[in-house]
Amino acid sequence: MILPIGPIHPALKEPVRLKLKTRGEKVISAEIDYGYVHRGIEKVMEGKTWQKGIFLSERVCGICSYIHTQTFAETFEKIAGERAPLRAQYLRVLTNELDRIQSHLLANSTYFKAVEHETLFMYMLYLREPVMDAIELLTGNRVNMGWNVVGGVKMDAKETHLNQIKEIITKLESEYGRYVSMYEEGPLVGLRSKDVGKMSRDDAITGRAVGPIGRASGLKHDLREDHHTYQDHFDWKVIWRKDGDNFARNMNRFDEVRESIKLIKQVIENIPEGPVREKINIPAGYAEWRNEAPRGEVTYMIETNGNLINNISIRTPSIMNIDVCAKYMLNDVATVADAVATYASVDPCVACTERVVIMDESGEKKEFDGLHTVKYLK
Amino acid sequence: MLDTLKDVVRKSSIHVCLINTGGCNGCDIEVVALLSPRYDLEQYGIYVHNNPREADVILVTGAMSEQWKKNLQRIYAKAPEPKIVVAIGNCPLTGDVFNQEGCKIYAPVSDFIPVDAEIPGCPPRPSEILAAILAVGPDALAAKGRQKQ
Repeated sequence: MILPIGPIHPALKEPVRLKLKTRGEKVISAEIDYGYVHRGIEKVMEGKTWQKGIFLSERVCGICSYIHTQTFAETFEKIAGERAPLRAQYLRVLTNELDRIQSHLLANSTYFKAVEHETLFMYMLYLREPVMDAIELLTGNRVNMGWNVVGGVKMDAKETHLNQIKEIITKLESEYGRYVSMYEEGPLVGLRSKDVGKMSRDDAITGRAVGPIGRASGLKHDLREDHHTYQDHFDWKVIWRKDGDNFARNMNRFDEVRESIKLIKQVIENIPEGPVREKINIPAGYAEWRNEAPRGEVTYMIETNGNLINNISIRTPSIMNIDVCAKYMLNDVATVADAVATYASVDPCVACTERVVIMDESGEKKEFDGLHTVKYLK
Repeated sequence: MLDTLKDVVRKSSIHVCLINTGGCNGCDIEVVALLSPRYDLEQYGIYVHNNPREADVILVTGAMSEQWKKNLQRIYAKAPEPKIVVAIGNCPLTGDVFNQEGCKIYAPVSDFIPVDAEIPGCPPRPSEILAAILAVGPDALAAKGRQKQ
């Protein structure tokens, strides 16, 4: 029997259609339909200047909105062959890690909601709100920050603001262990997540799983290792696990928050003085840039004529993660409730994924293969 | 007597269904932030459960995408009377930045279903969303309920 869930359903936060093939209560396989929030954002960006493009790129996804602007800006900086000033790079790391903390806490809270553990759901949101305050303090807005520009960041951070952020982060760190141990050692919710929705390392490689989902299955791959700012100035380590079940994915995100706290402290202690923005002359050209978003690898491929964007292609992590969830994790799941929890554990961000719909001439939607969505440029 | 009782009951239990009709998720996470202990939506008797069949308030976030053109009206029809629709953010009002040449957007939402309240912002703050739901929700529901009779 096919059990359809969505697009509007109590278990889902975003419109997507899960089709679960069930026998009794057991879920045998699953299929996921997209297309409910497709806006044609790449097409809109074509023929616009970067000032308009960066505004649009922020609205690809609301949860990881920050990293999209940073990747957009760094792609243009790569075309120009320059880098942002060091203070701007530090501030970018600071905002990126704050954004990662709030995104991971939100992702885990969604998972706890899916397994109906209301207490931890509330605790996660309780921990998240001060981080949102820190983001607002730094950038002036909670969600769509408008903080990056090509060649740096828009505003300088004041010393008092950095101190306040440090206070917030220290308080978060002191409380954090208690809530994590509730999940890690708690008999109820921890056991419900172990050995559910398992994905092996080979499957993760075949399905191109990225981010905490790939790392929880043993793929030690974090693009921050390759990023110049993180490489040269910061001391941190990649979090990864071998188990590949829901518990590993959630714990991976929990542990990454600890690393982010470490990074934020390093930024605030070592931030250099100097300008935060430089004028950059953009020549015509093409470049690719990859960054580690909270959900994994985000790639921007931009072709510009020096002034306008000729062609742009965005590849976000969720498209791969949702597909590996449907193909490898939702095989032989014991109950439908576990299937929904597994879907929540991959931290799906549907707004990210929905940019490409392949239409034929009659305007009808054709087959949409999530694993091959990157539109190659000439 | 019965009307007064119904008013009181309607005002103190508002069920909310959240529909993302093609936005960037920003407004949705601000609605999730409303559930947090800081804002605590449930102390006002508002309960977000995403089930249109028992919803009193339908929150619409996002510009209208291709797939929602028919489906939104179907979902609106499923919600029982009296019901109110609150549009959150710039997208359902104007289409925001997506409403440009080459896009696949059919904003505003009010072309498809009647909208009772509009909250501009990209995204609006959680407190603004809460204030709007509380300002329009209980009284409008009570008034609409009486009209029906």
